[in-house]
Amino acid sequence: MEADEAERALRDSPLTIRDEALNAYVRRVLCNTVGQDRCRSVRIYILEVPALNASMRPNGAMVVWSGLLLRVRSEAELGSVLGHEFAHFELRHTLNAFKRARSTTDVMAWLSVLGGMSNTNTSLSQLLLIGSFYRFSRDQEKEADLLGLRYLAASSYPTIAASQIWQHMMEEADATAIGRKKKPRQRYSAGFFDDHPTELNRAIYLADAASKAKGGNEPRISGHQAGIAKFLPLFLADQIKLNDFGGSEYVLGQLASATGWTGELLYARGELYRTRGNPRDLASAAQFYDQAIKAGYTTPEAKRGLGLSLLRNGQVTDGKAALTEYLRMKPDASDAKAISALVTN
Amino acid sequence: MIMYRALLTVSAIGFAVAAGANSLISPGPQAKIARSNLSASPTFEWNKLRYRGGKNVEIWTMDGDELNKVSFYGAIPVGQPIFREADKKNAPLPRVTANMLITDIPALLESTYRVQLNTSQMSIDSQEPTLVAGYKGIKFTYSFIRQDDEVQRKGEAVGAVVADRLYLVTYEAPAIHFFDKDVEKFRQLVTTLKI
Repeated sequence: MEADEAERALRDSPLTIRDEALNAYVRRVLCNTVGQDRCRSVRIYILEVPALNASMRPNGAMVVWSGLLLRVRSEAELGSVLGHEFAHFELRHTLNAFKRARSTTDVMAWLSVLGGMSNTNTSLSQLLLIGSFYRFSRDQEKEADLLGLRYLAASSYPTIAASQIWQHMMEEADATAIGRKKKPRQRYSAGFFDDHPTELNRAIYLADAASKAKGGNEPRISGHQAGIAKFLPLFLADQIKLNDFGGSEYVLGQLASATGWTGELLYARGELYRTRGNPRDLASAAQFYDQAIKAGYTTPEAKRGLGLSLLRNGQVTDGKAALTEYLRMKPDASDAKAISALVTN
Repeated sequence: MIMYRALLTVSAIGFAVAAGANSLISPGPQAKIARSNLSASPTFEWNKLRYRGGKNVEIWTMDGDELNKVSFYGAIPVGQPIFREADKKNAPLPRVTANMLITDIPALLESTYRVQLNTSQMSIDSQEPTLVAGYKGIKFTYSFIRQDDEVQRKGEAVGAVVADRLYLVTYEAPAIHFFDKDVEKFRQLVTTLKI
């Protein structure tokens, strides 16, 4: 009942991405991984939340965050995460976790009320509590990892994908730390994943298990690219605004390693550098926008980014020329009046 | 452990509420808003919240900050975020930077909200030049949804960088009913700003 109520909230949430093609793509990967019969019992909800996570409710509702879709590099990697979540469901882990759910939800309701009264942001606490709501023991995680791997082994996807995800998570955590001038972590654990086996452990035992059951040999990188293509600009924009320069640069580099530096990725990289806005960043940003335009990314926004980077970096004439071009291409832009003022001043 | 931490948070917030003392802002000149050289002269009564959210932040409301909220950010220097950071280690906020263009002001607010308030859906809906207390600045509108309550909120703001310091005043309210109800009072307040 409670899970059904939560599912109604998911169904009506403004964060839920309802695009049919994107939902069909994620479902296809789940079905390819766990088999057509099993996947029929699952309802998938994709939420626009720019962090890597997926979870499974005890009534068969699967939640996938957009940050996961941005980070996995192939259908096989996505399938390994969805298969892992489905394994929790098949092993009835979520049902057992529900026994301790009531007290958690009570605390959540109280936090909401008190947060409202004192203007304290409770959303982070809520995310943490929701994390505890559906968290599993390390043994359960390992059990689900290995059952997930058996699904992969029976599919056309290679099993090594499961270990690669954890490898990438560690690399991204390091990139984030270095970008914030901190030491890369020695022990890999991040947010929601604190209660999971450490990423390093997982990468090792999954790689070991994968060597014994290789599965198929089609990771389908281009299938994943096509599956999320329409939403890539949105997912990239969400990521770049998170003030995580190192992590975002890593994510862009991973995407580029599969497709090369496309105009779309170069534009996003320009946005990332322009947002940080150090003098050297602004020069780099202008270069990336320029390269994006040369690579055929001819949206008005590329001219906007180019113009703003140049202007802020003191290259006034060229900056104003690019902004004038932006206004010519998009005269009714929502920021046309503000950009016009920058050109005139 | 997480439960224990949550209960601690609840008791800490409870204490803050009990110790809090909001105050009435009467019509007439108000100096040193947000502990800065920002002043205004409202013609309506507002309530000033004791909770500030940052060293140079001040919050006024009429019916409660979830329903209508004016936030003043006064003279934020280069290198500082506009809010006090909730999790400096894992979720540091973007900073005011040197040579910001007027269009960088809404971008700074958006990124700050996305990191600290988890507003994964937020958009800047319009941007136009304006004078803020006589200085060249920007007026912009925006909308966002916080993940915790999923209420569609609208915002309107004016901001300017004066002598390398950011001045920003925002008004936010639920899009249904409340935003339109009080937005004119905010616009009137903005005309009285002085730096």
